[in-house]
Amino acid sequence: MDGSLVEFFRTAPIPPDVFSPSLGLIILLPLLGAFVCGVFGKWLGRANVHLVACSAIAGAFVLSVLAFWATSDAAGGRVVSMANPFGIERDTIRYAIAHDYGTWFAAGDFRVNFGLLVDHLSGILLLIITGVGFLIHLYSTSYMEHDDGYWRFFAYLNLFVAAMLTLVMADNLVLLFVGWEGVGMASYLLIGFWYTDSAKAWAGRKAFVTNRIGDFAFLIATFLLILTVSAFNRQADPRDYNAASTSRARYEQGIAQKGPVTFKGLEKLALALPEGTGGAVSLATPIESGPLSGYTFGGVMTSIMLLFLLGAAGKSAQLPLYVWLPDAMAGPTPVSALIHAATMVTAGVYLFCRMSALLVLSPTAMATIAIVGALTSLLAALIAFAQDDIKKVLAYSTVSQLGIMFMGVGMGVFWAAAMHLMTHAFFKACLFLGAGSVMHGNGDETDIKKLGGLWKEMKWTHATFLISTLAITGIFPIMSGFFSKDAIFHGVHHNHLHGLEWVSGFVYVLGLLITASTAFYMSRVYLLTFTGKRSPEAKLAHAHESAWHMTLPLVILAFLAFITFVYALPLMPRTGGGTQPVFENFLSPVLRPAETVARVAQTVKLDTSVPGVGDYAFAWMWALLGGGAAAFAYLKFFPSRVGQPVPAFARAVRRTALNKFYVDELYEFILIRPVKFVAFILFRVVDALVIDTVLVRGTAYVTEKVGLGLRRLQTGDAQAYAAIMALAILGGAVYALVQVLS
Amino acid sequence: MSFFDTHLLNVVIYLPLVFAALVLALPASEHGQVRTITFVGMLLDLVFGVWAYFRFEPSGAEFQMEYRVPWFQQFGMSYHLGVDGLAVSLLLLTVFLGPLVVLASTTYIQHRIKEFHLALLVLQTTMLGALASMDVLLFYIFFEAMLIPMYLMVGVWGAEDRRMAAVKFFLYTLVGSLLMLVAIVAVYFISGGPGVRSFDYGTLYNNLLAANQQLAACTNGVEGNCDSLTGLAATLHTYGPWMFAAFALAFAIKVPMWPVHTWLPDAHVQAPVAGSMILAGVMLKMGTYGFWRFAIPLFPVAAHQARPFLAVLAVIGIVYGALMCLAQRDIKKLIAYSSVSHLGYCMLGLLAVTSEGATGSAYQMLNHGVSTGALFLLFGFLYERRHTRLMSDYGGIAKVMPVFTAAFVIITFSSVAVPGTNGFIGEFLVLMGTFKSSLPLGFGAFATLGVILGAAYMLWMVQKVFFGSITHRENQHLRDMNVREMLTTAPFIVLVAVMGLMPQPFLDRIAPSTDRYVARASVGAPGATQAQDGQLRVEVMSLPSTAAAARPSVPAAPLAVRE
Repeated sequence: MDGSLVEFFRTAPIPPDVFSPSLGLIILLPLLGAFVCGVFGKWLGRANVHLVACSAIAGAFVLSVLAFWATSDAAGGRVVSMANPFGIERDTIRYAIAHDYGTWFAAGDFRVNFGLLVDHLSGILLLIITGVGFLIHLYSTSYMEHDDGYWRFFAYLNLFVAAMLTLVMADNLVLLFVGWEGVGMASYLLIGFWYTDSAKAWAGRKAFVTNRIGDFAFLIATFLLILTVSAFNRQADPRDYNAASTSRARYEQGIAQKGPVTFKGLEKLALALPEGTGGAVSLATPIESGPLSGYTFGGVMTSIMLLFLLGAAGKSAQLPLYVWLPDAMAGPTPVSALIHAATMVTAGVYLFCRMSALLVLSPTAMATIAIVGALTSLLAALIAFAQDDIKKVLAYSTVSQLGIMFMGVGMGVFWAAAMHLMTHAFFKACLFLGAGSVMHGNGDETDIKKLGGLWKEMKWTHATFLISTLAITGIFPIMSGFFSKDAIFHGVHHNHLHGLEWVSGFVYVLGLLITASTAFYMSRVYLLTFTGKRSPEAKLAHAHESAWHMTLPLVILAFLAFITFVYALPLMPRTGGGTQPVFENFLSPVLRPAETVARVAQTVKLDTSVPGVGDYAFAWMWALLGGGAAAFAYLKFFPSRVGQPVPAFARAVRRTALNKFYVDELYEFILIRPVKFVAFILFRVVDALVIDTVLVRGTAYVTEKVGLGLRRLQTGDAQAYAAIMALAILGGAVYALVQVLS
Repeated sequence: MSFFDTHLLNVVIYLPLVFAALVLALPASEHGQVRTITFVGMLLDLVFGVWAYFRFEPSGAEFQMEYRVPWFQQFGMSYHLGVDGLAVSLLLLTVFLGPLVVLASTTYIQHRIKEFHLALLVLQTTMLGALASMDVLLFYIFFEAMLIPMYLMVGVWGAEDRRMAAVKFFLYTLVGSLLMLVAIVAVYFISGGPGVRSFDYGTLYNNLLAANQQLAACTNGVEGNCDSLTGLAATLHTYGPWMFAAFALAFAIKVPMWPVHTWLPDAHVQAPVAGSMILAGVMLKMGTYGFWRFAIPLFPVAAHQARPFLAVLAVIGIVYGALMCLAQRDIKKLIAYSSVSHLGYCMLGLLAVTSEGATGSAYQMLNHGVSTGALFLLFGFLYERRHTRLMSDYGGIAKVMPVFTAAFVIITFSSVAVPGTNGFIGEFLVLMGTFKSSLPLGFGAFATLGVILGAAYMLWMVQKVFFGSITHRENQHLRDMNVREMLTTAPFIVLVAVMGLMPQPFLDRIAPSTDRYVARASVGAPGATQAQDGQLRVEVMSLPSTAAAARPSVPAAPLAVRE
C-alpha cells in the first residue's frame, strides 16, 4: 500500500488530546435532539422533526468516527496513549482517549465523576450505536410516516441513543448505570409507544420491572465492589500494588480523584489480587474488618460477578429474566431492531467485556455465565421453532444469539463475544428491519403462515433478508455470522476453566445443537415468508416494496453483515509467533489485563489456536443439517401433507413450544401472584385490622369506654359524693386500725 | 453589620406572618386579592429563603445566621435562631413549596378562601420557625403550633371523611410530642444544676456530652459494667433510654415509621392538595430532622442500642410501604404509602451512621419533598377535574391529557429513582451508606428490594391511570393542563433534572452537617475516637452581653445598690 495513504489513516484528523474534551458532545447531541423533538416537536412538523432527529444522530456518528479515529491515532509512529490515573508514572493506557468533566456527586470518601473513556471496545460500540442508529432513524422516517405520535417517537429514540452512548462511554460503574437504567427507561417508553393498547403498555412495564430485578442485583454488586476496594486498600502491601504496576499512594490518589468504581481502578484491583503476585492479599485471603469480614476476596468476587450476571441477565434477556424481550416486540419494529437486537440487549455482554479482568478471577462465575448462556440459547431456539409471528421468532433468535455471546464471555473468549455482538447488530438489525418492511408492505401482517411468495414483490427486502439469514445461520459460510459464532465456539471448546474443565465440552455440545436449531428456525422463517405461493389468508392481494428510506438501510446492513467476516480472519501477527484474528488483535489493548490476570491467577487456560479448515467444515455441517431439515420440512414434507390430521403428540409438542414452555405462567404462579397476595393480606390484615383498627382505634375505644364508665361516678349528687367520702374515710380508719393493732 | 446579617432568618420566618396580617385585614369576599397577597408573600419569602441558602457558607461555622436574644430567662430559655446545612436545605425546600402551594390551590379551594390562606401563611411560619430554632423549647413550640393550621386544613377543606382524618392526625401526633415534652423538661433538669441549665440546644448538648462519652466508654468497654457510674452519666444510664424513647416515638410518628404510620394515609387522602403537598413535602421531614438534630445526638448511647431495632423498622417500612402500594385502589393512598417507603430510606440512611448514608438521607428528604410534592400536586389537578381518587375511574387519560401525562411520567421516574433524576442520588447514597455501615449486609439487601417494588407499583399506577383505551365516558373530554398548572409544575420538573445532574452544590451544604452528625452519633458506638471533641461540641453564639442576667438562678448584682 502507498505509504502516504497508510500515514493518512494512521493520523487522526483531530489530534486525540484536542478531541477528547469534546467527547461529551457525542452524548449531548442526541440528548438535545430528544429535547427539541419532545418539547417542540408538535409545532415543528414532521419534516423538521425528521431533520432534527436524524441530524442529531448523524452528528453523533461523525463525532464517533473522529473519536474512533483518535483512539487509533499513531501519527509519526507514536501510538495514542494517556497516563493511567491509578498506575505509576510509567503506566500508560494505549489506544484510548478520555476526558473527565468533574464531580457528579461526592459524599464521605465516595465520589462519582462524569468521566468518559473511549478505547477500542467502546469505540466499536460507538460506531455501531450511532451508525446503525442513524440507519434506523432514516428507516423510521418512512416506517412511522402515518403515525401521529412521530415527534414522541423520535424524541424517545434520540433519548435512547443518548443513554446507550452514556452506557458505553462511561469510565465508571455508576455512570454506566445511568446509561443502563436510561436505556431501560427509553425502552419502557418505546415498547409502550402505542399506549392506547393496554397490552402494549403492559409489555413496557413488564420490561422495566424485569430489568429492575436485574438492576437490584447490579446495585448490590456495585456496593459490594466498593466494599471490596476499601478492604483491599486496608490489607494490601506494596507487593500487591507492584503486581498491578501501581503504588498505594497512586492508587489511593486515583480513588480519591476518580472514585472507587472506575474501571481502570478495578482493573488494578484485579491485577493485584491473584495468588501468583505474592503480597499480603490473594483470592484466598479473608477480609479482616468491615462489613465483609470473614469472607475471602475470591468468594466475594464470585458473589459480585454472579450478581452482575443477574443484572446482565435482566438487560440482556437471559435466564431467568428473558421473559420480557419477546413481549417487547409490542413496540414499533425499528425499535425492536435498534434496542432489542442491536444495542441495548448487548449491554450485558459489554459489561462483562469491560470488566473482563475482574471476571476471570472467578471460574465459578464464568462457568455459571457460560451455562446460563448456553441453556438460554437452546431454550430460546426451541421456542422459536413454533412461533408464527415473524417478530417473535426474531425476538427469540435474539435471546438465543445473546446466549451465544454469554457463552463466549463465560469461557473467556471476550474478543469473539464482542465481535459476535457487532455482527449480530448488523444482521439482526437487517432482519428486524426486513420484517418491518414486510409488515409495512403487507398491511401489518406478522403471521408468517399468512405471508409467502414475497420474493417477487419485495426484491430488495428479500435479497437483504436472505443475506442476513445466511449470515445468522452460517449455511453459506463466507458470512460474518458464521465466523463470529465459530470463533466463540472454537474458544469455548479449547479454553478451560480451572477446576471446571467439564464445562467446555458440555457448553460446546450445546453450542452445536444451537447452531443446528438456529439454522432450522431461521430457514423456516425465510422459506415461509418469502418463497412458495402467496398465502390465501394474506391481508393484501399484492405486497408493495418499501420506499428507499427503508431499503437503503437494509442494503447497507446486509452488506455489513457480509463483509465483516474479514475481521475474524487470522491476518495479524501474534506477539510470540503465529497469527491471530484481526478483531482479537484490535481488542487486545482492552483485553490484555484480563489475559494477564488469567495467566497469573491460573483460573482460565486461554487457548490461542486458530480454527483450521477442518474445524470450519465441521461447524458448517451442523448449520447445513439444520438448514437442510428446515428445507425438507417446509418445502416437501408439510406441503405434501396439507389437510391431513396431525398426530396428537406432535400437536402437544407444538402447543407447548408455542406457549413458550409455560415459563410466563410459572412466574405468574410462583412470583407475581404470591407477592400480590402477600401485599393484599398485609394491607387487609396487618395494616387495616391489626394496626389501625385494633391498636389505634382500640386505644381510642378503650379511652372512650373508660371515660364513659367513669362518667357514671360523676353524678353531681352531693349526697352520693358525701356517702363515698364517708365510706372512704371509714375504710381508711379501719385500715389504720388494723395496721396499728397488728 | 447590616440588618440582614442578624435578622435574615427572622425575616424568612415571619414574613408569611406579616402577610397573614395583611390578609386578615382584607375583606373575605376579595378572593383575588387574598390569593394574590398570599402568593406575593410566599414569593417574597422564597427570595429571602434563597438568599439565606446562598449566604450559608459550607466551610463556615456549623450554625450560621444566628440570632439570639434573652427570652423567659427564668426558664433558661432564649430566643435563639440559627441554621446548619441540613436545616438551611429543608428551609429552602419549604420556601420553594410555598408559592407553588398557593398556585395549586387557586381553583381547588372554593370556600372560606381567606381562612385557608391565613392557615397557609401561619403554617409556613411555624414550619420555618421549627427548622431554624436553636432552642429546644422554641422548637417544641413551633413543632406543636404546626399541628393547628394543618389540622384545620385537613378538617375544613378536606374530602368527605375530613373530620375523622383530622382528629386522627392531631391526636396521633400529639401523643408522641407530649411525651417528648416530658423528655425535654427532664433533659433540661438533668443537664445541669441550677443556674447552668438551659433549654438552648448548644448548652444542652455540651452539658450532656462528657457524660455521654463516659457512658459510652463503659457500655462498650470490655467489662460492660456501668453500675459504678456517678452523676449525670449514671442518670443517663438509667433514664437515657426512656428519654430517647420519648423523643424517638414523637419523631417516629411524624416520619412516619412503621408501625405508627396509619395516620398518614388517612390524612393524605382527606387533605386538600395544598395540605398533602406540605404534609409530604415538609412536615414529614420534621420527624427525620428531629432524629438528626435531637434524638440521636442527645442520647447517642441509647440510640446506638436501639439502632438495630430502628433500622429493622426502617427496612420494614421500605418494603412494607411498597407492598401496601401494590394493594391500593386509591391513588392518593398509594402515593401516601410510597411516602412511608421513601421515608424508610431516609431513616435507614440516618441509622447507618456513615457519611454516605447520612448525606443520602438528607438528600432524600429534599427529593421526597420535590417528587412526592409534585405527585400530589399533579394528582390534585386530576382530582379537580374528575373528583374521584380511584384508579379504576381513570384509564387512557394520556390520549386526552398528553402534557399532563408527560409531566406525571417524569415525576414518576424521579420517584422510582431512575439515574439522572434527583431520586437516584439519594437512594444510591443511602443504600451505599447502609452497606458500608456496621449494620449486617442483609439490611442493605432488603432495602434494595424497594428498587424493584417501587418501579412495580408506580408504573402499575401510571399504567392504570394513563394508558390503555379510555374506559369512562366522563374522561373523554378532560381538559389538558392550562398555563397556570404548567407554571406550577415546571419548577418541580426543572428541579428533578437539576438535582439529579448537579447535586454537588446541594450536597456541599449538607456535607459539614453530616460529618458532625456522624461524629455525634458515633459517640455511642464502640471504638469512637474521643479526640474529636472540637467537632463534637456545638459552638453557638452566647447571649448578648446586655443579658448578663440570662443565667436564671444566679443572682445578679443586687439592684438596690447604687454607686
